[in-house]
Amino acid sequence: MTQATDDTAIRGRGLFSAMRDSVRLLMTDSFAVIGLLILGLFVLLALIGPWLAPYEPFKAMMTETGRLNRLAPPSAEHLLGTTAFGNDVLSQFLYGFRIALIVGLVAAVAVGFISTVFGVLSGYFGGYVDDVLMRLTDIALSIPTLPFAIVAVALLGPSIENIILVITILFWRNGARIIRSAVLTERERIYVKWARAAGASHAHIILRHILPNIVRIVFLWVTMSVAFAILTEASLSFLGLGDPTVVSWGQMLNIAFSSGNLRTAWWWVVPPSLALVLLVSSLYLIGRAYEEQTNPRLRRR
Amino acid sequence: MRAYILRRLAQSVLVVWAVTTIMFFMFRVMPADPTAILLERGLSDEARLALMEEWGLTGSLWDQYVAYLGNIAQGDFGNSFFYRKPVWDVLFPLIVNTLWIAIPGLLMGAALGAAIGTAVGWAPRGGKLERSGIFLATVIRGVPNFVIGIALLTVFSSTLGWFPGFGMGDPGATTGFARYFTLDFLHHLALPLIAVTIYFLPENLLLMRSGVVENRTEDYIELVRAKGVPQRRVAWHAARNSMLPLITWLFPALAETIAGIVVIEIVFSWPGVGRELVLAVTRQDYPLAQAAFFLLAVMIVLANLAADLAYGKLDPRVVYK
Repeated sequence: MTQATDDTAIRGRGLFSAMRDSVRLLMTDSFAVIGLLILGLFVLLALIGPWLAPYEPFKAMMTETGRLNRLAPPSAEHLLGTTAFGNDVLSQFLYGFRIALIVGLVAAVAVGFISTVFGVLSGYFGGYVDDVLMRLTDIALSIPTLPFAIVAVALLGPSIENIILVITILFWRNGARIIRSAVLTERERIYVKWARAAGASHAHIILRHILPNIVRIVFLWVTMSVAFAILTEASLSFLGLGDPTVVSWGQMLNIAFSSGNLRTAWWWVVPPSLALVLLVSSLYLIGRAYEEQTNPRLRRR
Repeated sequence: MRAYILRRLAQSVLVVWAVTTIMFFMFRVMPADPTAILLERGLSDEARLALMEEWGLTGSLWDQYVAYLGNIAQGDFGNSFFYRKPVWDVLFPLIVNTLWIAIPGLLMGAALGAAIGTAVGWAPRGGKLERSGIFLATVIRGVPNFVIGIALLTVFSSTLGWFPGFGMGDPGATTGFARYFTLDFLHHLALPLIAVTIYFLPENLLLMRSGVVENRTEDYIELVRAKGVPQRRVAWHAARNSMLPLITWLFPALAETIAGIVVIEIVFSWPGVGRELVLAVTRQDYPLAQAAFFLLAVMIVLANLAADLAYGKLDPRVVYK
């Protein structure tokens, strides 16, 4: 063994280069590329959507005769028609991108951070911390997710902040467990022992050896968390427990459903449904690429 | 083995206790005024005080907690504000309704998923069948279950009129237990059942496909092939060994279904536990909401317990300690 390889073995790898590698990895998977393209388009629409929206999302449209312009089919004036309450569907639809992005982003950061910290501490140091964490996740995993969200949001009050809080409480647990077991296997690898023997500190080993090697699993989990968060917010809104002051796709579908207009007003139902399907599927397509890579037995041989 | 079962049972009791404690915080501590959500409005002062005594809403937080645990241990969740009868009288008949769509839906999803998953896993890697199978499964997996419900409802109920999209039976249909064996019931069951099946199919398909891909390169497959067994039978060998994770996945999936089915029950107005939970929450009928939540949590604990016990039975490599 040469001196150079010894050095890299001890120095480890930068976290950012590991992240760059795992993003580059996505580019080799054509399904993941499709997912990334859709996701990119959605992020763009979330940023510029409110400027593109021709009307205020909750503004009631009037006809020339001064009556409520309800359930108007698509026209030049209202490209996606109007709702039963005379709101412009296209404007509501465009505002919906923003709320989906916010829910997904905040959940990704919160869940990704909490799961990683707990998973790494518990997996790396083991012992007492690990015991407590495992008992905690045992309990947390037996809480029915959607019913918990329904009850908690109803009791806390249906605001977007509370919805995100509940989503974070719900989904950190699975990630912590998955990351913990990944850390457990990394910890036992020979290079970690070398690094320890060479006098590397715990912080050094965690930051430069463990984390860079579990980046894919963290990314996989973050991707899935974003999907779950968006689905949970959409489900809550569809059940009528969303934030009534912001437009979301789930809420649009809730109003179309509860006002009994599913069949007649296709222009009101199809856009939010399609957007949700595209967004969540694109996240799953990205997640799948990581899944294939983190499971060596699935890699093409 | 017996020691393992006992320990698992003790663990389950512990989890139920923890869930109850979480419920105590959710319903009693978190709200600004728990009496406002647990006692009906418009009661006289004496009646209010008497109820507060009975519900253990007086005294220190610790006293309240002990009283709360006592009530729950006795199965006393009080009366529903809306129905004006004990919550269990409302909820018990609904359990069967939920299971009626959860279990057959899950089994159908698993069976279809396993069949298609085997085909996809056995197909040449990188081929058309494999790629389109994975792509479609991943995309369908991303369809929120209420969107599946809405699509089925719009197409097969309102447009084509093939199936009813509301409730469990036409007005004036047979009631009681006999109703589960009428054509009318099966007719109403069809769409919600298909919705649950579609919801579970992709996940099963991908799981089965991974299993088959992992198994197809194992030595025993080479051996079977070398014996001159036809392709189809060789695939069956790989499939059978891939079923273990699928079967053990079924129990937690059942738990997840019972919880996640809420949305499908709402779309099809199917009178199950989950729909009642949502209705109770929107009607601010908190005793009923609390009991429904507890019921769902206990179902999950039982499903996980069953999964752990079944795992050992199915996989002889599992050693109980």
